[in-house]
Amino acid sequence: MKIDEVKTIKLPTTVHDLALAPDCKRLWVACLDGCVRGVDLETEEHFLLGEHSRYASGVHALPDGKTVISAGYDGALLWHDVETRSCFRRIFAHEFWSWQSALSPDGRWLASSTGQYLCGGYKYEPAPEREPSVKVFDTMTGELKASFEHVPPVQSITFSRDGRYVAAGNLMGEIRVWEVETQSLVSTWTTGDFTGWGIIKGHYYTGGVFSLSFGPGDDLLYLVGMGTTRDPAAGNGKQLWQAYAWQEDGFPKMAESSADDTGQGLMESFVFHPSDEWFLMAGRLESGQWNAAAFDRETGNLRASYNYKGRVCQGAFLPNGDRYVLGGGVSQGELKEGSFRDYGRVWVSRAS
Amino acid sequence: MSWSGLFSVPAFAEQVKRSNKRCILLWLCGGPSQFETWDPKPGTSTGGPFGSIPTAIPGVHVSELMPKCASILDKMAVIRSMKTNQREHTQAINLLNRGDNPRPPFIRPTLGSVLAQQLGHLDSAIPNFILLDPCPEGNEFKGFKAGNWAGWLGAEYAPVRVGGEFKIEDVMRLPGLSEADHEEREALRRFFSKKFENERKSAAASSHNAVYERVKGLMSCAHLFDLERLPQKDRERYGAGAFGQHALLARSLVEEGAPFVMVANGMPWDTHVFNHEVYQMVVPDMDNIVYQLVNDLEDRGMADDTLVVVMGEFGRTPWINVKRGRDHYPNAWSLAMAGCGIQPGAVVGATDPLGVDVTESPFSEKNLFATIYQALGIDPYAEYDLPNLPTFHRVEERAEPIKEVLA
Repeated sequence: MKIDEVKTIKLPTTVHDLALAPDCKRLWVACLDGCVRGVDLETEEHFLLGEHSRYASGVHALPDGKTVISAGYDGALLWHDVETRSCFRRIFAHEFWSWQSALSPDGRWLASSTGQYLCGGYKYEPAPEREPSVKVFDTMTGELKASFEHVPPVQSITFSRDGRYVAAGNLMGEIRVWEVETQSLVSTWTTGDFTGWGIIKGHYYTGGVFSLSFGPGDDLLYLVGMGTTRDPAAGNGKQLWQAYAWQEDGFPKMAESSADDTGQGLMESFVFHPSDEWFLMAGRLESGQWNAAAFDRETGNLRASYNYKGRVCQGAFLPNGDRYVLGGGVSQGELKEGSFRDYGRVWVSRAS
Repeated sequence: MSWSGLFSVPAFAEQVKRSNKRCILLWLCGGPSQFETWDPKPGTSTGGPFGSIPTAIPGVHVSELMPKCASILDKMAVIRSMKTNQREHTQAINLLNRGDNPRPPFIRPTLGSVLAQQLGHLDSAIPNFILLDPCPEGNEFKGFKAGNWAGWLGAEYAPVRVGGEFKIEDVMRLPGLSEADHEEREALRRFFSKKFENERKSAAASSHNAVYERVKGLMSCAHLFDLERLPQKDRERYGAGAFGQHALLARSLVEEGAPFVMVANGMPWDTHVFNHEVYQMVVPDMDNIVYQLVNDLEDRGMADDTLVVVMGEFGRTPWINVKRGRDHYPNAWSLAMAGCGIQPGAVVGATDPLGVDVTESPFSEKNLFATIYQALGIDPYAEYDLPNLPTFHRVEERAEPIKEVLA
């Protein structure tokens, strides 16, 4: 397998999340400056769809092609009319950030996770939540469908492929899976493999699970992030994915990335190829060879990799699977002649 | 007689010692971001994801992560225009602890050592310079901690390090040893040690003796370092984390007579990675600690005699790096003070709208040290008595104190 970069589109600020419009000609992006933008993948032109008062963290295109829902660090969920480019519904979902949000496969539900990391113990263990850490909303009406408890900060969230379950992972590597309809907790376990405690620089926790994805048949839940690190200021944990049989007793770990294939750096994005034969994990490179890599689903082996020389926050495949888009950014850079450079990026690539 | 000349009168210097002035330094090692603390720029390209909130001083805002300090900012002073010249930790930690750039091979004493000499008593049962830091590592700070804190003042003014894993061990007199026997042994040890020191003219022996003198003192005050003896309600108020617990211990120690306590917690402010993710926790922790400390000192009638300084070695960059962090930035940063000699409610200096540079009243480390010394009634410009060494002053070049923050 070989990865080729087709084009790079520059945007004003880092892209935290992206969603392809149903026609796949347009990309919706949630950006660090709070803006939700539409990007024409052909002409590379972009326009403002809406705006959060803090960082925009999530963006989702409903199947009707008319509505986009965004989430932000202002704790708000915004419903945007694509045609009129106006916001027609605003819900204050959380008192703190919407860390991550996910749309159910049928577009009916939107789940969002939150939670501020506050000191809860001598070693800076996270304090208990002060508001529900996970909420699920009806995308048609904006009504709250369900609230779930977790230990903040809850940094990652996803729906199962059948839309029946929602899973969320936190800083401490604790995973909780709920059934949406019955609002019941069906699985919970903790892995310490993604969380670092600062022995060197400062005594606190960093890392955690940054992305989650259910595999084919919803049998396995894939966790993504960075391996443990002793120095929170280094960001040098290993690039890491793990797969768990979340419905089996003891929640056994079934597979994980090989140390031979990976370098160091936080991984934030994990998406399956439409064929389900392989998946793409991407993030940031601290040391090693790549910040985006294709892994074989059956063997877990590395198939191909690429270094985009930036931070990848999210990715998506075009439906036919021949191309994928990644959203992220590079360093903001110093102020020059009164302005900052465009440091947001959308990378369009081909995997063949 | 000039103001500074007043300090050179020996009787006045003694009066400073007797006045029981004290200082607590909350050392935010690693370099705290001014944007997420005292000088927020919300809604700008450098402001980050946190907003700002109004304070007890009309028109002055601080980060939304600090609601408690915002409510008592009229009891504090904030300097928003620190401008220093060291952007690496080792050099900057030295700069902001010693008040000047190095001039090898001479080693300038740290602030704590100077205050131990000026405010403390050598025969005090409680150490004159206490460093509370539970973090055994800390990269550059670890190197600094292992270095020479007291410089040319000598080992008797170096810190006693306690906190977390650094408990004071083996300082209790054995049950089988009577007080009289203990005193006789101590006198004999002192006699031989002093004889050895005099005959060999040994700095190492001098340092060794200073440690023994201190241990004798620590035997009588070891219980003061026990966190468990502090009231549970107070421990809850200061927060569960190590920094809060040690800040409370610092308050207790100055109440017991310690002239200088430095509270550190490794280097948690060095957020090259996950700046906002880490600051969502460490800033509210610090906010609560400062709030509790300033109010406690006031409630106990100690505010007029106790200076609280809240600072690190520099600030952090306006721009965000690719690791979602902020890097070192000495060009324009902030700190806060409260208590002894400080003008409540003073907010001094300013930066441009993006926080890139100081636009009003830049202050250096020398200005800061002159301010601290003057606030504590210590001559900032006194010449050190250093036979066979070049001439050194507490603050060189007669750098001005920051008058706007002095009461």
